[in-house]
Amino acid sequence: MNTFLILLPLMMTMLYSLATVPILVWMERRIAAFIQDRVGPNRCNIGGIRLGGIIQSIADMMKLVFKEEFLPSHIKNKLYYLIAPSIAFVSAFLTFMVIPYADNITLNGETYHMQALPTELGVLWFLAFAGLGVYGIILGGWASHSKFAILGSMRATAQVISYEVAMGLALVSMLITYGTINLNEMVSYQTQSFFIIPAWGAIIQPLATIIFIVTAFAETNRAPFDAAESESEIVAGYHTEYGAMKFGLFFVAEYIAMAASGALIVTIFFGGYQLPYLSTSDLINHFETILWGVIIFAVLTSILFLRWMNKNSRFEFSSNNETKIYTTLIIGFTFFATIVMAYYAFGFGETHEVGVMILQFVVFTVKLFVLHFVFIWVRWTLPRFRYDQTQKLGWNILLPLSLANIFITAIVVVIGVNYGN
Amino acid sequence: MQNEIIFAILALLTIVSSIVMISAHRPIDSALAFIVALICIAALFGLVNATFMFVVQIIIYAGAILSLILFIIMFLNIKDENLPDEKNKNWWLLGTSFIVAPFGLILIDLIIRSDITINRVPAEGFGNIKDVGLTLFSKWVLPFELVSILLLVALVGAVTLAKRES
Repeated sequence: MNTFLILLPLMMTMLYSLATVPILVWMERRIAAFIQDRVGPNRCNIGGIRLGGIIQSIADMMKLVFKEEFLPSHIKNKLYYLIAPSIAFVSAFLTFMVIPYADNITLNGETYHMQALPTELGVLWFLAFAGLGVYGIILGGWASHSKFAILGSMRATAQVISYEVAMGLALVSMLITYGTINLNEMVSYQTQSFFIIPAWGAIIQPLATIIFIVTAFAETNRAPFDAAESESEIVAGYHTEYGAMKFGLFFVAEYIAMAASGALIVTIFFGGYQLPYLSTSDLINHFETILWGVIIFAVLTSILFLRWMNKNSRFEFSSNNETKIYTTLIIGFTFFATIVMAYYAFGFGETHEVGVMILQFVVFTVKLFVLHFVFIWVRWTLPRFRYDQTQKLGWNILLPLSLANIFITAIVVVIGVNYGN
Repeated sequence: MQNEIIFAILALLTIVSSIVMISAHRPIDSALAFIVALICIAALFGLVNATFMFVVQIIIYAGAILSLILFIIMFLNIKDENLPDEKNKNWWLLGTSFIVAPFGLILIDLIIRSDITINRVPAEGFGNIKDVGLTLFSKWVLPFELVSILLLVALVGAVTLAKRES
């Protein structure tokens, strides 16, 4: 149990970063398709099981892994060329390490942190490794010896450097508000209520939230700030000369960076793993009541989902009836989960802390995927910014706004500390 | 024991990458070796529990300054034939290092005589962001403000120099 609880946050990091990549790719393609009034990839299957098209992204991954690894003959600096994707990947992965997935859990008098790296550096760690990720792009573009690649990597570098400033300043105003850089303490701060609305970062500091989200889009080179890999101008930007899994690493790194900044946005601005109004101690004290709520919610959502699925799923490909299998699985799983939860809800079980931890994992995951949806939604809605427009937005609008925000926040905090209460 | 082994590895990496940085022919090799050296120094800070120095070293030096330098190197698009001919550079470097060596000995002697030793891990709370901040803004607030003004002057100077040409 000891070792398991220490390894758990590390495993969660793996899950949230690496294992979500196929799901994110699937989400990206399906949502893009729905926005453009198409259906998207939904025919790839294993024995008639399609999982709504997730099998397609597994097939894509297999293709990338088993593709021939080739080295373009004009590459002179093989070391730099080969090391660049790994730098991008490693630094994107490391940014994930400080995100708290649940509150610190105390079992038998010992406290375990639900962060892979329980350091007091918190946000600074994220900034440090998000900044290092740009070396992967620089090196990749430079070592490719191609005009498109170098143009793409120069655009990416200039963009990341200029948006890092506004991002750091937006974070400073949040740090002044929370009075800490520890992400877990930030989440506990957000369980308070501001009049009757939960005191989430997005509600106390709307301006900083907007600035931070915009800069997070730019930092991860995602649309509308993806001039670095704009297909219509410079082929694919910095990874033009990369193929197979070397390209795959860049691709995965981009999604992990997106997932990590999404997780950070959830943690700082949207209450992290907390349900609104309910702090961890409230959850532990009223565990039975909350569990009944969860049971009702689970049964209702699975009934609604089953009705929706039976109405919309029309796929007759093989002898297996896909809809029937899913229906059986969902009913069985809901039934099993309800029995397990009811056992605890009647007060037979003792370990409320573990239950609360699982609930917080679920809350964090739901919030994270809502944010992923926003990232994808923005990508397929807004047209790409021209490169000079990106720079103008960063330096002329976001930077002064974030400076003004720090100024106002500092004044409010000083007045609040000296004259409040 | 672990600390000594990690220290030895990091120190060796720092020294080797610094030598590579000085002796490399192409500017991009120098810059990359410099990044390795800076990250190793950050790790050394981490080893003595100075977490704030660790993260600041990575954010400012390895993250911001060096990526600007690399950006400029890429921007200039230096080709191999544009680089100056430096045939005897490494001999010069070797000769100079022999001349400087006695000063290095003095420095090592100084370090050994002072009470800074490798094995001393500072007390809990040393080098935390909170302690650094409190010390900086209470005891050293005047030097801190003076340094900020110095940086501001440099900034304004850079802007005026850039504006003058157009």
